[in-house]
Amino acid sequence: MRLMHTSLPEFKLKVQGAVIRQSPHKTLKIKGLENLKCAKMQSLRTGRIEDSVEKIAADKETSRVEVVVMPRVPETMHTVIVKGYDKDGNPTKAILEVINIIHPTEEVELEGFEHIEDRRPTIGRH
Amino acid sequence: MRKLSFRYLPMGVGSKHGAPINIALVDQKEIAASGLSEETALEMIVQKIGGPVAVNVFDMEAVTTTSDGIIVPGAIIAMAAGDRGKIHPEFGVLHMEEIEVTEELVEEEPHLAPLFKLYPGRRLFRGPDPAKKLIPVHNVCMTGKAVNNNSATEVMNVITMEEMLLPILGQLQAMREGDIVFAITGGVISVGIGMTVAEKFGRVFPTRQFKAGDTAHNSGGYAQTLKATIPCLAAPKEVLARYILDVLECGLVPGRELGCSPAVLSVAHAFAAEIALDQITPRAWLELESVGISRKGLEQPSPELDRAEIIARADEIIPGLVEPRRVSSKDYFKKIELAV
Repeated sequence: MRLMHTSLPEFKLKVQGAVIRQSPHKTLKIKGLENLKCAKMQSLRTGRIEDSVEKIAADKETSRVEVVVMPRVPETMHTVIVKGYDKDGNPTKAILEVINIIHPTEEVELEGFEHIEDRRPTIGRH
Repeated sequence: MRKLSFRYLPMGVGSKHGAPINIALVDQKEIAASGLSEETALEMIVQKIGGPVAVNVFDMEAVTTTSDGIIVPGAIIAMAAGDRGKIHPEFGVLHMEEIEVTEELVEEEPHLAPLFKLYPGRRLFRGPDPAKKLIPVHNVCMTGKAVNNNSATEVMNVITMEEMLLPILGQLQAMREGDIVFAITGGVISVGIGMTVAEKFGRVFPTRQFKAGDTAHNSGGYAQTLKATIPCLAAPKEVLARYILDVLECGLVPGRELGCSPAVLSVAHAFAAEIALDQITPRAWLELESVGISRKGLEQPSPELDRAEIIARADEIIPGLVEPRRVSSKDYFKKIELAV
């Protein structure tokens, strides 16, 4: 499955590499993945995102690139795990809960942008 | 020249921080008169306002229900959220589902029985069909910062995280250019909105999940805190009293057919109407008692007021709302006309 999904560190390196290929002086900030420690990222999209980052970075006017990852569907459902441990670090009890979170949509990140190219497929497609 | 008119409450107007986003209310008749499609009309309104906005479309000839199951004339048939002059193409609009009124429906949802007498032949709308929406849980639409939730009865700004409750009766007052009440929602309404009835395609719940006499919140003493500190735009209490009396006069019983909200119970007690005290669940009593509504109190002799007395004394009889300020909706909702 290595070819189907890219590891999270590799994803970040690929995005960083896409900027550096254009100029080592241009900076990159990735927002929205801070909370992820381990994940497998869709490989086909990783390549397409690399391509998008490189295209944005190639613009002579661009000195800084931001990559923002936000929920595609702006209400997300999450499992919440409440865990207790004793003084020796042994598990005592856990409770599973659920929470639904409402997020802003992409418009909040696009303030001031005139030229926007939407390459996203419709929901449910890759 | 044709025109499109709608009512507009600017962001920041209302109690406390006021409306967290702009609010636009439009009658479907106005859309029809403009000759525009609903989609184009919504786009024009959102473009005119520019900032974050909730847009609600009404059919004033249709009927809907309040969360505690009271039938009222006037219904929201579509809701939208816009920001930066746009409506999100996937999540920006949601339509309420028309519910066919049949004997079978009334059998499942006995709070609808007065429909045949009070509003025969009217179309019924509450929430959307869950199979037709993309958002998984809430009946919500959103664009950018603007969130229009619970089938257009609650708005939020997801960046400032401020919120405002928009009960259906308050919005209908604005549509009719009547008086409205700006207030802080408070504990009583926080409890009351959880005392729902079982409805298919409800405004908040898509299935018949919580029956009359029960609480959808099931939060004990915490239910009163749910919306306690957020502002709301409500109808004057005599408006609510009239609609409650209408269905009590048709023989509906709180706790059995109607939700056991503090407002319904208080009017029923003042009117000496039957209350199904035994059918109110222990967990509902916990929430009611937290805001001063007890079984003992409801078992006290009724003052046996008549309809006119209850309407005249509605502010005293119906509990709820903190720091209420009654105003004319015409002084706060601007009527805007767009050339088409």
